Amino acid sequence: MSEVFVKNEKSYKTKKIISNVLVYLFLAAIAITILVPFYWMLLTSVKDAIMIEQTPPLLFIKPSEWKLLNYTSLFDLVQSGPRRGQPLFPFFTYMKNTIVISIITTIGTSITTILAAYAFARLNFKGRDVVFGIIIATMMIPGEIFILTNFLTVNRLGWYDIMNQTYMDAILAMTLPFMTSVFYTFYLRQTFKQIPNELYYAAKVDGTTDFKYLLKVMIPVAMPTIVTIIILNSMGAWSAYIWPAMVTTKDSYRLVSNGLRGAFTDTSTGRTDYGQQMASATLVTLPLLIVFFTFRKQIMRGVSRSGIKG
Amino acid sequence: MEIKMLDLTKIFVSKDKKEVHAVDHVDLTIPSGKLIGLLGPSGCGKSTTLYLIAGLLKQNQGQIFFGEDEVSDMPPEKRGIGLVFQNYALYPHMTVRENILFPLENLKIEKTEAKERTIEMAQLVGLGEMLDRKPKELSGGQQQRVAIARALVKKPRVLLLDEPLSNLDARLRLQTREEIKRIQRETGITTVFVTHDQEEAMSISDEIVVMKDGVIQQMGEPQEVYDFPINMFVAQFLGSPQINIFNGEIKDKKIYANGMMIGKSKLPDQPIKIGIRPEGFIVDKEKQSEFKFEIDLVETIGRDTTLIIEVPGNEGSLLDKLTFKAIVDASEHIKAGDWVHFNIKPDKMHLFNLEGKLLK
Amino acid sequence: METKNNLRAWLYLAPMLLLMAVFTFYPLFNAFVISFYKDYLPLANDGAGSITGYTIANYGVIFKNQLFWQSLKNTFVLALVSVPLSIIISLLISVALKSIPKLKGFFQTVFFLPYVTNGIAVGMAFAVMFHRDYGLFNLVLSWFGITALDWIGGTASWWAQMGALMIFTIWESLAFKILVFTSGLQNIDKQYYDAAKIDHATKWTIFKRITVPLLSPLILYISITSMIGALKAYNSVIGLFGERLGAQPYSMITIVAFVYKYRSDFSFQGFYSYAASAAIILFFITLLFSVIQTVVSKKRIHY
Repeated sequence: MSEVFVKNEKSYKTKKIISNVLVYLFLAAIAITILVPFYWMLLTSVKDAIMIEQTPPLLFIKPSEWKLLNYTSLFDLVQSGPRRGQPLFPFFTYMKNTIVISIITTIGTSITTILAAYAFARLNFKGRDVVFGIIIATMMIPGEIFILTNFLTVNRLGWYDIMNQTYMDAILAMTLPFMTSVFYTFYLRQTFKQIPNELYYAAKVDGTTDFKYLLKVMIPVAMPTIVTIIILNSMGAWSAYIWPAMVTTKDSYRLVSNGLRGAFTDTSTGRTDYGQQMASATLVTLPLLIVFFTFRKQIMRGVSRSGIKG
Repeated sequence: MEIKMLDLTKIFVSKDKKEVHAVDHVDLTIPSGKLIGLLGPSGCGKSTTLYLIAGLLKQNQGQIFFGEDEVSDMPPEKRGIGLVFQNYALYPHMTVRENILFPLENLKIEKTEAKERTIEMAQLVGLGEMLDRKPKELSGGQQQRVAIARALVKKPRVLLLDEPLSNLDARLRLQTREEIKRIQRETGITTVFVTHDQEEAMSISDEIVVMKDGVIQQMGEPQEVYDFPINMFVAQFLGSPQINIFNGEIKDKKIYANGMMIGKSKLPDQPIKIGIRPEGFIVDKEKQSEFKFEIDLVETIGRDTTLIIEVPGNEGSLLDKLTFKAIVDASEHIKAGDWVHFNIKPDKMHLFNLEGKLLK
Repeated sequence: METKNNLRAWLYLAPMLLLMAVFTFYPLFNAFVISFYKDYLPLANDGAGSITGYTIANYGVIFKNQLFWQSLKNTFVLALVSVPLSIIISLLISVALKSIPKLKGFFQTVFFLPYVTNGIAVGMAFAVMFHRDYGLFNLVLSWFGITALDWIGGTASWWAQMGALMIFTIWESLAFKILVFTSGLQNIDKQYYDAAKIDHATKWTIFKRITVPLLSPLILYISITSMIGALKAYNSVIGLFGERLGAQPYSMITIVAFVYKYRSDFSFQGFYSYAASAAIILFFITLLFSVIQTVVSKKRIHY
């Protein structure tokens, strides 16, 4: 009757060990692939002009031989042209702008999404499901479509004045359209929904108002999710590129991503100073990595959950 | 196919680094072609033993043989076993047909033969009409039978069932256990099933193996183990209602339960534990017996009457528990409050030393 | 009471709905309108804009525009190759991650890094790595005896540029997918894997017949969202190629880049409407892809 058994000829242990080694090798290869661009960024930033143009490229430089000129020269003042008198790469200005924008949008986004998620999760009202459905559907629309009109709206609101745009105007223009997020509303609603109904009814019986319930029960219970949203949203400002470039009239109003591209190409010769470019890229990447390693758990948990639930 | 385990040991390390010997130096031979029930309370190591046979867990020590083949280091897919999981683990995205066909595809069985065998197997378990349904469209009992069909279709050397009836309701459980017995008889495959339900094990097994704390207590035909338990644990684990354990002693070839003489023994004088099955009590109409009690509660079901007797519980008393039960013929017409004298059937009485070992 | 409840709910929703009305719903509707304007000058008349009527010709203009076809081709090739590839690669990585006993957390963290970094900064690092003479890619290729290739320099072929863009895009997009698939895999009951082992399935069969089908709802979700993401590719092109949008000007232009290019030329009559028309076309392409993927998958996801 039996036909499926296999004689114990091979050593299954060795087979298992070999397959384990192969899996680790595969993962290590991927890990190296992921890390190499960061390494190359740092490596190039500490090379001097001669090292950079060396072929084959240097793969390693002892820390004692690192050249920091690329970093120091980022702060040299530009001698001529429209950006005369400013640092070559005004990192601290960009950082300041980015942080300001990130704080404002995060506060705004938190407030609007918490309120909306609460309404969707807990309150019964006519048309709730329809409104929710419509809002969710907008996630499928490429945001680039909105930009065309939003630019005109910002202009009409007087925040985009080519001659006299103030810092305040620029900040309003950069933040207001991003004061809410459908995605985070959806994510937060899921968390709110997991809070048992009984808590709500108990609070109602005790005469608690909806708003007080939201403040005293929902928000504290959902705090891990809210923290994740705050972290993820704050990091968004770092990669914002097109919109800040579009609605600001002065370099000094822009964000880190805008400063990165184009600043290090000599317009007359078309040559790019890769050392300076990589130094600035490293400066921009570093704060993000610090934030990431500080809040690693919250960030990864938040992203994985949002992916699953979505 | 005979299954032989030699010195089999599995150690789990808990979070606080404590070692638990889930299976502890087990030597066990499961005879070919039999239906064996692995029985014990939860945590006794019976499921671990099953998973070791399946190869889903790896032993720390010892060997497993299927017939002449040593399978100790073989991965599960090479062992040629069929396993029915407690929750069936039917692939939710496949139909009944695809579920049953799956192992045959993996074994590269020729297609027309595989299809025929699938249909044949589905008919054997009585699911010929359900082949194109998804698992979630089936009842619990039907899912269970698909799982059995999937395990059997590849003609495994042994069939393993992990708590096969625990997810079924009472009525289905009775029906399904007859079904398992029938399928096992028809196929003649060596089958091991794990259960914590002694009644279930007793009713369908050719032989039962009672386990406790990773150690095998006793193995044998159900009735034999019931009639001749090797220790107090086995005696207590088998039988419903449970066996009554009395504190007593042997003195001058007589057996006393708390001073009341209930029988004779050739054993030397010593304090003992006396196990008396509920059906071992006979009402002494002559009222000669010293073993007499006031009845607290009477439950009559059909031809049996269960007498429940309360004993004041204190140090050195008759019972470690508060009550004991006796089953007598309903024709005795006993009422609560009556005083009843009992004689004890010698073959329903087991004597143990204070460590719980049977005294012979 | 009922109306009071309704009112309160809308009050909670008001901040979000107000912002969305101004910055999402109106712009969506207005993009359609703009795409039909004739001779539109958006900033004329003190920002009120000026038109000379309505026309459908804007669509005709961009359909005759060589650059638009170039952007369609680039976007499609990029999306249709990089999305399936990155899904397959990240699935394999996630399955491998699941199978290892140690270092899981370490690998997960490393793999997640691209998600939290600035795309433009890393794009620039890739540009340096793709340099013909002193880049890392050609060095590695030379180890295998392959002659240096101009990936992104002035003489780079279209395929070389596209290859570079794809490598960068896939590198960037793995992080999110690996994380999501890894937690998706954790949610699959271990018993199915035990059962499959008992059923003699090989590792590959388990992957193909158990893992992928059980993960299919998640795979569908990820493929739709990454397809939408890939169809809007822009920052990656900027990072890798700069504002020239290619080794040769515009050689790697995408639909979004096309929209932005015509938007920035708003002082030319009608250009803003061309940008709007292209955006509308992108909208429908996205919609079409989502619908096709859902319909196709519906037939294959049975659970």
